[in-house]
Amino acid sequence: MQSNSMPDTAEHAADATRILLVEDEFLIRMLVADHLRASGFAVVEAFNGDEAIAILKSGARFDLVFTDVRMPGSTDGLALLGFIRAAHPDLPVLMTSGHLEPHLAYAGGAVRFLPKPCDLDIVVDELRAALGPAT
Amino acid sequence: MSVDQSILVIDGDIISRHAIADYLRHCGYAVVEAATTDEAMTALAEAALGIDVILCDIAAIGERSGFELAQWVRDNRPELEVRLAGSLDGAARTAADLCETGPHLRRPYEPTAVVDYVRQLRAARGRA
Repeated sequence: MQSNSMPDTAEHAADATRILLVEDEFLIRMLVADHLRASGFAVVEAFNGDEAIAILKSGARFDLVFTDVRMPGSTDGLALLGFIRAAHPDLPVLMTSGHLEPHLAYAGGAVRFLPKPCDLDIVVDELRAALGPAT
Repeated sequence: MSVDQSILVIDGDIISRHAIADYLRHCGYAVVEAATTDEAMTALAEAALGIDVILCDIAAIGERSGFELAQWVRDNRPELEVRLAGSLDGAARTAADLCETGPHLRRPYEPTAVVDYVRQLRAARGRA
């Protein structure tokens, strides 16, 4: 790594499990992000699908995307899922929604679906299950 | 300034916002990220967040501009410190100023590194 690039902090360490959290409800996003950080994950917060695509296109590395479905902007959760399946086929996506039928998420390629509202500890358990035993 | 304080970072660019927020977290601050001034207003209404300092991009979007948000804070929440940043370099310098002694974790971690990192990500996004 070049000396003028971002340093080897916890958020950027090679062994940190990095989650891209996509949620337009500010307070929900903040609560989930805080809980995930407290659980040892490195979290990048995107407030809609468009932001998520922007950070994914930047080359930033993620181990999993946890996304809502209904969001403002030109990219909802299902469209984001489609982008990820095409551009990052190995990147697991966990979806959450209070409206979407789970089979639609699975049909699009999501590895797991959580109905809203969901307990934060269950979110962590589901993320770890989706990421595999190493996490 | 001690690091047991909360900073509200308002920036509509996820790459810049995350880099600055990440930097401040590693300085020991509790950081709340807002993508719009509307989200910032929601954060300011939550007393439990204990926001002490606001670092706002002047180009932040929402019902209020960055300037208007700063004016609202001065009029309604004068106890809060507002720092407006007009550029990524300005935001990084302001974050470094808030950090004073620098992040608690690994070194080196300079404000210029934040700017360089954002530029690299933006360049990569442009190539994608």
